[in-house]
Amino acid sequence: MTADDLTVIVTAGLVATACGLLGPFLVLRRQALMGDAVSHAVLPGIVATYLLLDTRAPLPVILGAGCFAVVCVLGIDALRATKLVAADAAIGLVFPALFALGVLGIQRYAAGVHLDLDSTIYGEIAFAPFRTWIFGPVEVAQSIVVNGLVALANLAFVYFVWKELKASSFDPEFSRTVRISPALLGRLLLGMVAVTAVTAFESVGAILVVTLLIVPAATAHLLTDRLVTLVGLTVAIGWICAGAGYGGALAADASIAGTMGLVAGVLFGGALFAAPKHGVLARARRRRVAQRTVAAPAPG
Amino acid sequence: MGSLIDLWPLNYTDSVVATGALLLGVAAGVLGTFAVLRGRSLVGDALAHAALPGVCVAFLVTGAKDPATLVAGAACAGIVGAFAMVGIERSTRIKPDTAIGVVLSVFFSLGIVLLTAIAAGDNANQAGLERYLFGQAAGLVEADVNLMAFLAAGSLGLVVAGFRPLKTTLFDPAYAGATGLPVRALELAMTGFLVVAVVIGLRTVGAILMVAMLVTPAVAARQFVARLALLLPLAGAVGAFVGVTGALLSSRAEVPTGPVIVLVGFTVVGLSILLAPGRGVAWRAGLLRRERRRALVDGVLLDLEIASHGGPPPTQAELALGSGRPERALRRGVRVLHARGWVKDEGGRLVLTAPGADAAHDLVARRDEWSAWLEHGWRLRLPDAREPDPRDVRGSLGSEAADRLAAFRAEAAA
Repeated sequence: MTADDLTVIVTAGLVATACGLLGPFLVLRRQALMGDAVSHAVLPGIVATYLLLDTRAPLPVILGAGCFAVVCVLGIDALRATKLVAADAAIGLVFPALFALGVLGIQRYAAGVHLDLDSTIYGEIAFAPFRTWIFGPVEVAQSIVVNGLVALANLAFVYFVWKELKASSFDPEFSRTVRISPALLGRLLLGMVAVTAVTAFESVGAILVVTLLIVPAATAHLLTDRLVTLVGLTVAIGWICAGAGYGGALAADASIAGTMGLVAGVLFGGALFAAPKHGVLARARRRRVAQRTVAAPAPG
Repeated sequence: MGSLIDLWPLNYTDSVVATGALLLGVAAGVLGTFAVLRGRSLVGDALAHAALPGVCVAFLVTGAKDPATLVAGAACAGIVGAFAMVGIERSTRIKPDTAIGVVLSVFFSLGIVLLTAIAAGDNANQAGLERYLFGQAAGLVEADVNLMAFLAAGSLGLVVAGFRPLKTTLFDPAYAGATGLPVRALELAMTGFLVVAVVIGLRTVGAILMVAMLVTPAVAARQFVARLALLLPLAGAVGAFVGVTGALLSSRAEVPTGPVIVLVGFTVVGLSILLAPGRGVAWRAGLLRRERRRALVDGVLLDLEIASHGGPPPTQAELALGSGRPERALRRGVRVLHARGWVKDEGGRLVLTAPGADAAHDLVARRDEWSAWLEHGWRLRLPDAREPDPRDVRGSLGSEAADRLAAFRAEAAA
């Protein structure tokens, strides 16, 4: 394995870590599709920053895209607040519109120059090793630094509001009575998702962000009932996706992001059937045992 | 199909595009409405993403870009995706939104892998498959449009034929089941409608943005009508407008069609949510403003009437002091009364004119009738549970009932 391979895998792993820290909460709070929406909605922000400031430096892009993530969340909330649009329809109205804006912006003004329509979807993770920063004697890929920082920020976020996240995810009513606003935490969570989505979007493309936010968390959700284990497992599954996906992509000469997503899908499928407690097979076995117990009651 | 294409006042290429977009709009509008009303708008998103690998597999198997084959592939993948979603939801603890997200991202990842694998291969035919991501109406040919027409006509025919059972299942599945309707099958049919709509639109709008085409027309149309029998055609019409406008704009500007259609649709939805009569945000805001103003003017008129009873007509400052209303609100009310000629200014004092006094007396009478209704209404023993208009008890209950109310009131006062 060369240093470049390692760079790609570590970048994807860091993205998976950042997403894996937040994904379980999205899944538990039934906000998985808000994560999807926000990850799409950051595109016009990236384009607008590029058009206005002519830069793809991480900080301005994150700020610009963050604005659009906020627009997306507030727009969906505003549509819901009119009570004229159902909650899910509001999501389906807002994020395609924002994404469409971004696609048109790229197509009209930035095509082929520095932004590329394909790369917003597939990502350009294969180029991660080529854009580097030099700190003294060491040369580090930009994507590793940026995604590493975001992963750290997410870790800090999850660590410091762990109790609040836990309470508001599992029991919003209780959480309200002890003055932890589930709505506020939901907003914070989506804010972190937005930041993660922006940085990850740059390195791996929209689809892998959505995949890593939702699929590893859903897989882990089938495997465990403890929140700590859930988050840890999610991150671990993300790293497996990164490593195995990269290997698979090299072997099959296919999109790296797509293959990583596919590995996530395979793992989810495995968990779906074989998970020890919540898997399809385990459920079927429990049902069979229950039926047998009913059919042949204990003597006496 | 030729006749429909010839109807447009456009050149042949644009006519084909417009026809395709029209069919897509009608089909997506009508078929998407079912999903929106069931609260499953985003299932369409997952199905649209899920169709992409189907297109790729169909291409890999046949090695040609025959529209019927690709559509069949997309439909198969969509159906597999739909079953996967329902299966995950039913058989595990995974919630519907997560199931949608999982199917969406895994199928789309597979699609991306296949797309890049095809692109890396040396099949000269492969160019253009990436159109299925963002859509491109410009490349539509008559064969595509014929296929779209066939699918649209078939599915719309099914909707018309099964309208009544579909409607019952849509709004009250429990009742539908109790009357012996095959609820599962009908719900499956509604999901099947989504697959058909996605397949029709995939080429033109693209997998990523197809969900907007399913949701937009239904939401826009719903602001104007409440009956399903009207909602479906109106959603179809909105979809057709959005589709045709977007497709023509995009083929002129040479940009992908999907984003343009989506933005046109979003504008339409925004306007209808804002302006829909009786329901829209702007309409309700206007209604609220008028009501507030009316309450203010009525209140000021009554204040003035009461103040004029006990002595000389009050000045505006005295009126403000007596009524406890904020100065600005009072000034506004007085200005309206002036404009109506109900009040005149005599040396700084506000004097009710004759029509003003009549209006005030009328108002007092109406308020008395309302309080009589609140106090004695139960004694009327009305045959139905009508609640009268607080501003017009006599008008809404009839003068006989109002007279009896007045009698009860007089009796209580005696």
